[in-house]
Amino acid sequence: MIRLNNVVGSYRTGRGSINAVDGVTLEIPDGCILGVAGESGCGKSTLMKLIYGDVLSPMSLSAGSIEYGFTDDRGTPITSDNIKREWFRRISYVPQSSMNSLNPVVRVGKQFLDFPGPDADKRRVLEQVKAYIVKLGLPVETLEAYPHQLSGGMRQRVMIAMATFFQPELILADEPTTALDVVVQKDILLLLMELQEQMQNTIVLVSHDMGVHYQTTTRMLIMYAAKAVEYGDSESVFSAPLHPYTAMLADSLPTIGDDRARHGIPGRPPSLWQELKGCRFADRCPLATARCRAEEPELIEHKPGQFAACHYAGQYKREAEQPTWQ
Amino acid sequence: MTTETQTTPVAADTAPKRKRRDEGWSSLLWLLNRRLGIGLVILLIFVAGSLVLPFFSPSDPSQQATYMKNLHMTTKHWLGTTALGQDTFWYLIFAVRNSLLLGIAVGIGITIISTAVGLSAGYIGGAFERIVMLFVDTFITIPLLPILIILGTLIRANYAYLVSIIIIFGWAWNARTIRSMALTLREREFINMARFSGAGTFQILTREIFPYVSAYMLVGFINTVLFAINTEATLAVIGLSKVEIPTLGSIIFWALNYNALFTGNVVWLVAPIVATVLLFLGLFLTSTGFNEAFASRRGVA
Repeated sequence: MIRLNNVVGSYRTGRGSINAVDGVTLEIPDGCILGVAGESGCGKSTLMKLIYGDVLSPMSLSAGSIEYGFTDDRGTPITSDNIKREWFRRISYVPQSSMNSLNPVVRVGKQFLDFPGPDADKRRVLEQVKAYIVKLGLPVETLEAYPHQLSGGMRQRVMIAMATFFQPELILADEPTTALDVVVQKDILLLLMELQEQMQNTIVLVSHDMGVHYQTTTRMLIMYAAKAVEYGDSESVFSAPLHPYTAMLADSLPTIGDDRARHGIPGRPPSLWQELKGCRFADRCPLATARCRAEEPELIEHKPGQFAACHYAGQYKREAEQPTWQ
Repeated sequence: MTTETQTTPVAADTAPKRKRRDEGWSSLLWLLNRRLGIGLVILLIFVAGSLVLPFFSPSDPSQQATYMKNLHMTTKHWLGTTALGQDTFWYLIFAVRNSLLLGIAVGIGITIISTAVGLSAGYIGGAFERIVMLFVDTFITIPLLPILIILGTLIRANYAYLVSIIIIFGWAWNARTIRSMALTLREREFINMARFSGAGTFQILTREIFPYVSAYMLVGFINTVLFAINTEATLAVIGLSKVEIPTLGSIIFWALNYNALFTGNVVWLVAPIVATVLLFLGLFLTSTGFNEAFASRRGVA
């Protein structure tokens, strides 16, 4: 279980400090695939950086803490302070663009061996790597190739092989299929799901593609303007969203067999620079009342296992009651 | 798969070929293109000739009045003799050797210094970079030739001294170029990935950034050799190097001083010029050939 306690991630800028993730409290159960969705600038990537422990100036973890629920080799529990030492061993990262994530002038096999693993015998490691990439559906010759000689899907497979080679407890995948066509995308997602099932670890998957989330994830986190607005089992989040933002997000997406015009959500998210009072979605929300503008809603459990930060959770009337996500 | 089949290594039938390619020297053969081939052949002739032949020299060619003056080209003296009674051919051989050794010494020194400075400044960044770049920019603005002329007039010391002077006033430009490469590399995704996989700064510099800039360093090294030979020749021609030692510049110095053109000993002046041009051509072809070869490895060309 990964526990985020009121995590605040802020950037120090010339104009002052800004909170890109503003007080997120979550419990991610072990062995789930958590999808994170929200529009650009809502703090998804910052949250990922915070969880990964890649906190570099001007960003900082200005409040809160993260407990990962697993321990290092000596049994010390891992928190945000010592997570860096576990990079690619207990926590790993699948990047967005595998095109640029491999060194273009180093053969793939050599890049594999450059990872600081526990085994010093390179020849034995190489044998293990060979066996592993074959298992992941790549030909052995891949290790002899330079990255530009591989296709996009193969490169992403290589990245996934690198990220999962040490069987980490937690894998963060930041839009792992963005640059790929839908067929390869499906292969990659199936591969990730398959690996997750074998290793029984946790995957946090960021994507803009709600279809990807629907097919892949077991839990969903919806973020809006640096806040977590809804969190729960994917099925209930998709079929019966509690927060109006989630519901409108779902309604704005096309479904097969439904040819009604789709509506976007009017307006823009608030600038994080201004003083924010009350619910951050209030300006765009059809249900907003004076209470929403004055009092900030907490992320509370409205149904078992489903959290939402809304005073009127579940009261938004959706256009299509039963979407068929494809 | 978008790459054409000839560069796709995953086809099973190409696997054995690729394997052989990785064994020893033959792994470098695939780098060869015509430009690089010609350049390397010229360089090989120059390097082998100037390093081996001096052992067979009948006498010390810098010794004056060994032979009769201004002899024409004969089978005994292939390029005739100089107005100082030296054998022009053997003098030229020693000159090429000395110039090459000087160039290589300067090239190694400048490449090591500029790579270390440029990579660390570009990758580490921050206050460290600003302080280092202050020095680099200062050295870039100092004009090399006037400084060398002044120092050359003041001190006529040995070659080690000349080598270190050229290094001291010549490293900065290369450091700046390498730093700019490191700057762009710092933001590349694969460097981030290396960091995310737990690699430290030193590891990233040596295992990720170094292979990327090594091709450039080789080209830079060759260009520096060119630059050093050129600089020394310039100083020698105006008499500010140690002209008693045969170098490509010092032959020209003596030939000009003894009016080789007007006394009919044209070979004395033309031979070192031809040798210099050929050497430069070899270095240039090698440097651009390498550039081309490495570009094809990156998949650019």
